Amino acid sequence: MTRTRTPGISRRSTLALMGAGAMTFAAPWVARAQAKTIKIGMPTILSGRVAQLGTSSRNAVMLEVEKVNAAGGLAGRQIEMVVRDSKGQPQEAARVARELVNTDGCELLLDGEASSGSFAVHEVARDLGVLCIHTCSEASSLTADPKQHIPNAFRCVRQGIHDSIVGGSYAAAISKAKGLKKWATCSPDYAYGRDTTGEFTLYLKRFAPDVEIISESWPKLFQPDYTEVVTKILQAKPQALYSCLWGGDLTSYIDQANIYAMFGQMEVFAVNMADYTALTVVKNLPKGIHSGNRYIKTFPTTPENAAWGDAYKAKYNEYPTNWSWQNATAVMFLAEAAKKANSADGKKLAEVLKGLTIKCPFGADGTVTMRGDDHTLVGYAIGWGTTIPQEPYVPEVKAGDWKTIFELEAEWKKSKGYT
Amino acid sequence: MTELEAGRARALVPVSSGAALQRYRDVLIAVIAFAVLASLPLFTGSKALLDFVIRCSAYGLFATSLNLLVGYTGLTSFGHGMFFGLGAYGFGLIMQKLGVPIPVAFVATLAITAVIAAIIGAICVRLKEIYFAFVTLAFQMLIHSTILSWASFTGGDQGLRGGIPRPTFLGINLANHIHLYVASCALLILGLLAMRQIAQSPFGYTLRMIRDNAARASFLGIDVWRAKLTVFVLAALFAAMGGMVMALFVSGAYPEFAYWTISGEAIFINMLGGVSTFLGPMVGTVLLLLLNDTVTRFTEYHGIVLGVVILFFALGLRKGLLDFVAEWFARRRKTGEGR
Amino acid sequence: MDLDALAGCLSSSACLVTQTTSGLIIGMLLFLVAVGLTLIFGVLKVVNFSHGAFYMFGAYFAMAAYQLTGSFALAMLAGAAGTAILGLIFERVFMSRVYGADVLMQLLVCYAFVLIFDDVVRIIWGPEFKSMGMPSAFQVMPLFIAGGVVPPYYLLLIGVALVAAIVLGAGLSRTRIGKVIRAAAHNPGMVSALGINTGLIYGGVFALGGMLAGLAGALAAPVRSLTPGMGFSVLIESFIVTVIGGMGSILGALIGALLLGLIRSFGSLGFPLFTEGLMYLFMVIVLVSKPTGLFGKEAA
Repeated sequence: MTRTRTPGISRRSTLALMGAGAMTFAAPWVARAQAKTIKIGMPTILSGRVAQLGTSSRNAVMLEVEKVNAAGGLAGRQIEMVVRDSKGQPQEAARVARELVNTDGCELLLDGEASSGSFAVHEVARDLGVLCIHTCSEASSLTADPKQHIPNAFRCVRQGIHDSIVGGSYAAAISKAKGLKKWATCSPDYAYGRDTTGEFTLYLKRFAPDVEIISESWPKLFQPDYTEVVTKILQAKPQALYSCLWGGDLTSYIDQANIYAMFGQMEVFAVNMADYTALTVVKNLPKGIHSGNRYIKTFPTTPENAAWGDAYKAKYNEYPTNWSWQNATAVMFLAEAAKKANSADGKKLAEVLKGLTIKCPFGADGTVTMRGDDHTLVGYAIGWGTTIPQEPYVPEVKAGDWKTIFELEAEWKKSKGYT
Repeated sequence: MTELEAGRARALVPVSSGAALQRYRDVLIAVIAFAVLASLPLFTGSKALLDFVIRCSAYGLFATSLNLLVGYTGLTSFGHGMFFGLGAYGFGLIMQKLGVPIPVAFVATLAITAVIAAIIGAICVRLKEIYFAFVTLAFQMLIHSTILSWASFTGGDQGLRGGIPRPTFLGINLANHIHLYVASCALLILGLLAMRQIAQSPFGYTLRMIRDNAARASFLGIDVWRAKLTVFVLAALFAAMGGMVMALFVSGAYPEFAYWTISGEAIFINMLGGVSTFLGPMVGTVLLLLLNDTVTRFTEYHGIVLGVVILFFALGLRKGLLDFVAEWFARRRKTGEGR
Repeated sequence: MDLDALAGCLSSSACLVTQTTSGLIIGMLLFLVAVGLTLIFGVLKVVNFSHGAFYMFGAYFAMAAYQLTGSFALAMLAGAAGTAILGLIFERVFMSRVYGADVLMQLLVCYAFVLIFDDVVRIIWGPEFKSMGMPSAFQVMPLFIAGGVVPPYYLLLIGVALVAAIVLGAGLSRTRIGKVIRAAAHNPGMVSALGINTGLIYGGVFALGGMLAGLAGALAAPVRSLTPGMGFSVLIESFIVTVIGGMGSILGALIGALLLGLIRSFGSLGFPLFTEGLMYLFMVIVLVSKPTGLFGKEAA
């Protein structure tokens, strides 16, 4: 009885689906015709293990877009954000990015993808010529490699190479003071982990030549269990450990290393520790872990930065992440560029963005710059400090020196064959 | 070729009557379908629709090729995605490193895939049922691990970067959206037509016999192992074609293409569309992509929506859509005749 | 490759002991998750692809209970009991409808629930990762046993896993219920003809399997971060364990888990960049030489 009825239901639901599906293919000019708003598309990761990346990026973008819109919008046009989930799959990221431009009529892209997804969106930007600002991908080659360079793509993200230069010199100073000669490393086995660790040890050895790396561990990204890695490091008996594990992997690692009492036996340098996502989650945070700043509202120690962190907390009931400040900065860049170009046109914005310096709460000196020759963010607040288990978590941050960063970065680019 | 001859002898009954006629019909349908698809850009300016068809080509070739194994031969592969990934990486790497014309890279990729599929298949097809599924899955994970570990060659987790060069050949410029669209449609239609011919050939009927009763087939003098290996390699080739279309679409290749979730998606597509009709997987492809694209527009909780739809198919219909429709028509015709 | 490091470790007794113990620890944790999978397959002939989701729920239930009560014991209980109930409902309402069907149909139902469960967790607990925290009773210095380092918390884990192995092994082979379950696995028609409710047995076994996964998740919660989708990598690993050990064999799961643990602990020394690949390679070799796994029986 029910059997004979089911096809009717399925036909009806198929029709409904087709109706909804048709919207997917609607022609772009329908959307563009809508007067003065400007649509900005944002493919990002809103589901799966790193959904927090997407949600905290979106939160920050919304916070800033509200301000820009209240101040009159982008060259007089109100911004409408279209944020869509890519599930962290590169083919979906490419599909979503194309759809945002071709169907939804987005004139600009904020690319909130990490790793392979960002390269997929980069190819879409290359193909469609739309202005695209990468806001989450820390992979250095994305902007440093001239083969990747296109005039319409920028990167508003901190970079592993910068962290490594600052971290290397910071760690070298402590190495010399405390006599830490034997080092071990433990980083996730993927491009970011391998590159950042290689660069960190390079600069550590440069500033403290008698340092020796005696053990390397490469757990998988998202590995649930680190027991063999922890015991391997304990076996090697290093005086110091470097790690660029991040997020949930870092907290798992700390919890598991803690029950082996690892933190009492060596100095730990974890570049990604000082991020509220990790700091607030770990229940038994060991004291005195050295870390780079991801985002903390006490560094830079300016009222602007503190106010921004508090405003975000007030609105979303959690602290911002490293991804948050990067996305917020991208919107600030767009707003300033539109003001200067007196236009919201992608090509004109790209012209102005090259080498643009703006006032920004996350700048080392109150400003950040979109470097002209490789379209990447520089001058942001960067430093290292040690953790305590309660607020403000990292009471004192020693700021890195951008002059040194620029010198060594240029050298590094040459060694990679990028310049 | 004894197994083919034996198969032909057995298959004569269903095939010979009107086999040639059916082949003409298939070719005719293919030509019409291609003409309709290729003329689509004349009627619509929607680039998203063309993108959609390109993606359908990639996934459609891939899913239909899996059905050669699952539906026709009864070989449930959990690792078919490795050939999708191999196609994408093989093509991308050849174009990036050697800079040969596209057709050369295309053929070379198929040749490489055939060799690798023959080696893996020779090991896998001995195993039965769920164990075949497991070992194909294990090979897939091994290949995925290798892609990740061999970063100097494959680019590791970041994939093949910098875009795949697409030099013009025979006046075809695949960097042009319309050209790429037409080429994808052509590949899809040709691939489907070729697979249809395989399925309807005496060899295809040999496969069905192996699926229904391998012992009987082998008793009749069919070399079951060789027949299974042959279809395993053939299916791999079409999966690699799908991978190449995907590589052209995203202008790159990423390790996700060789991950087991891709195999899972192909299985899902097959179950959604139906495995007992030739076009079932194609219907499933369109259905899944449409569902995916539509649902992700409206909610980031697409898992729940997709999950409920799957449950509807698995527990409600208990079969794929096209299978269901086909059975419904058959039943209606029967009752109609009875009246 | 770093074969020198491997050789160096093999020739030093302290390293040998430590890496062997860490291999055992990893193995026992794996066993606890994998045994539920193998049990369900052994009796119901269903590959439960949603097993990782039960592991995830176990961890989240435990965290929620721990935050509410502050009691570690109650947290473990919540993880185990919650997933047992979930398993029972899941089996009775959904899985029981696809027993006769194709393997792929069963796979599809499980896959649907993996998607749904991940989103449900995201809705209830949010997308960010969480940590339960180690109970203060276990925040003590690790023990040194025969030159190897063992944290007390892992001793508890190994103890629970061993108890699970013994109770399951002995329970299935010696008790009346165990005999009925094995009979139902072998010939469900005959068992139901004897007036025994096979539905009840199936539901019970699934609940037990779910409970074991949930318990594993609860026990892992103090040392692993909790995120939606956390069951995924665990599913893959326990899947490899059961395939190597033989689907349906509890002893096989134990041996398979320990072997994998040792591959991980020594592989990370010798092949730090291909440890994962080693596991798959091992799985391929086992499957090709003995398709049913090390301890699997030929399918009837």
